[in-house]
Amino acid sequence: MKKVMYLEFERCIGCRSCQAACRECGGHDAKERNYVEYIDFFESRQTFPMMCMQCKDPACARVCPANAIQITEEGVVLSAMEEKCIGCRNCTFGCPFGIPKFDFEENKMYKCDMCYDRTKHDIAPMCASVCPSDAIRFIDHEEMMELRRKRTQMNLIEGKKPSENDKWQYVPEFFGVYSD
Amino acid sequence: MERLERSFYSKASMYSFIVVVVLFMLMWIGTGQFSHMDWMLFGYMVSSFIFFIGITVRLTSWIMRPATYEVLKRSIKNMKTKKRQKRNFKAIGKTLFDNIILQKFIFKRGWYRGIQHWLIAWGCIGSLAITFGLTFGWMHFKLINAETYQMVVFGIPTISMHPDGILASMIFEGLNITAAMLLIGVIMALVRRIGNNDLKVTQRAEFDLFPLYLLLAMTVTGLALTVSYKLLSGWMHPELALIHQITVVVFLVYFPFGKLFHLPIRPMAAAVPMNYQEVVKVDTKECAGCGELYSNDDQIADVQQILGNQAFDLEMDNGNKPSDYCTACRRMIRVMDHLNMKSKFGKVSGPVQTNNGIHVPGFGRERSEEFYNQAVKEEVKS
Repeated sequence: MKKVMYLEFERCIGCRSCQAACRECGGHDAKERNYVEYIDFFESRQTFPMMCMQCKDPACARVCPANAIQITEEGVVLSAMEEKCIGCRNCTFGCPFGIPKFDFEENKMYKCDMCYDRTKHDIAPMCASVCPSDAIRFIDHEEMMELRRKRTQMNLIEGKKPSENDKWQYVPEFFGVYSD
Repeated sequence: MERLERSFYSKASMYSFIVVVVLFMLMWIGTGQFSHMDWMLFGYMVSSFIFFIGITVRLTSWIMRPATYEVLKRSIKNMKTKKRQKRNFKAIGKTLFDNIILQKFIFKRGWYRGIQHWLIAWGCIGSLAITFGLTFGWMHFKLINAETYQMVVFGIPTISMHPDGILASMIFEGLNITAAMLLIGVIMALVRRIGNNDLKVTQRAEFDLFPLYLLLAMTVTGLALTVSYKLLSGWMHPELALIHQITVVVFLVYFPFGKLFHLPIRPMAAAVPMNYQEVVKVDTKECAGCGELYSNDDQIADVQQILGNQAFDLEMDNGNKPSDYCTACRRMIRVMDHLNMKSKFGKVSGPVQTNNGIHVPGFGRERSEEFYNQAVKEEVKS
């Protein structure tokens, strides 16, 4: 997997196409696994898309008493294995980002797996492939670095300068599964 | 206990040793000091020992995981608490009946999957029970007189029956009945796995398909034995018996290490109503952010304990942990942090607010001069 997921929350227009695309995916049972929510409803109508960070050392897997959450070779954190998941919801509380969802009817957890069947062949995940405002992008590592540099320049225009010690804080968040 | 543990290479080897000794003792009792050994089943017996050793090793390492250990610790504590006895009893009974005997939750994933899983599960459990009962000699049949057969369990004579009666044929055909259940279930599962496009993408040959092929080989050869001696007057019987034995040995050795290992860990589902959620969808703990009920105190305490035991330091500036908030609040906290929007001026040490209201559409608010002055002031201070 050479590409990365790149999220720019400010670009989100709240159309929820990503959620619709996620629902369309086979095997998702018409339930979306990502989120589109208001950042601060009383301040503005700005929304943000949110999906799993695919942690290297995922807290959800660490708190699972049944050892049901597995990680693929590419580093994608999968939904709980149906045969093992005992339905305790520990993962939904353990995740510091509030990502895993729980299905009370079928008694199992499900979460964003970055459409690993697509992304491992460098095909954009469902959500990124439909986002009309490029808030969710699936791009080359190089392109992502270029975008981050641009954002840093924009921060300079705003008037705050990074010092030698905190340069790394002056770049927008990026995440995804990549190997180099 | 500690001294005993230290005399073994590992916990797993200690428990395996204990399990083997117990099985051997049970065999000694069951076969009347090894006088009724069924040497036809010797291969099955050796692989049954390997099966139990494998299960013990896997269960030991599973229980040693911090998360599993913590949940089991609380379960045992609750089981000892007198006040909770009613709830414990109800939780275990309900889980046993709904989740294990009837497997209702799988029927909710589709009736086809439900029937298929129920047939495979009870076919497997029934077959394993009969296999272990016979191979370890825990039960055998004795001819009392020409008209009466008697079942002897652990050397204790139990029910007597007419060899041609309904009860007797039910017992003698036990393995055939479970094998027929398995055959139907496995064929249903294979049809689903071959036909369903969604499954084709995610299934793994060695994990999802191999156990099905193995079960199929086992049931077909097993039923062929019956066909051979009932209809074909024993044609190819010794060869078929050997082939069947090989498939069963492979199955028993494979069982603890593949997909089927979920069988011994499922009963832990009783821990959920017992420790955490007594009634489904009824929560008692308030979110530290929005005040909505999202969980219960015991579960959050356990989650924090498990994460702490594994050196996850997730404490936030205000001393709360992410798990003190509901999932929606946690997502919002992350975004606010990321956009440096928690306070009016953001955090000095945090990233620059990329939503500056000038360059990026979406945020309409223009910032006051005060914001920029503050930023300059903070810059000077640091």
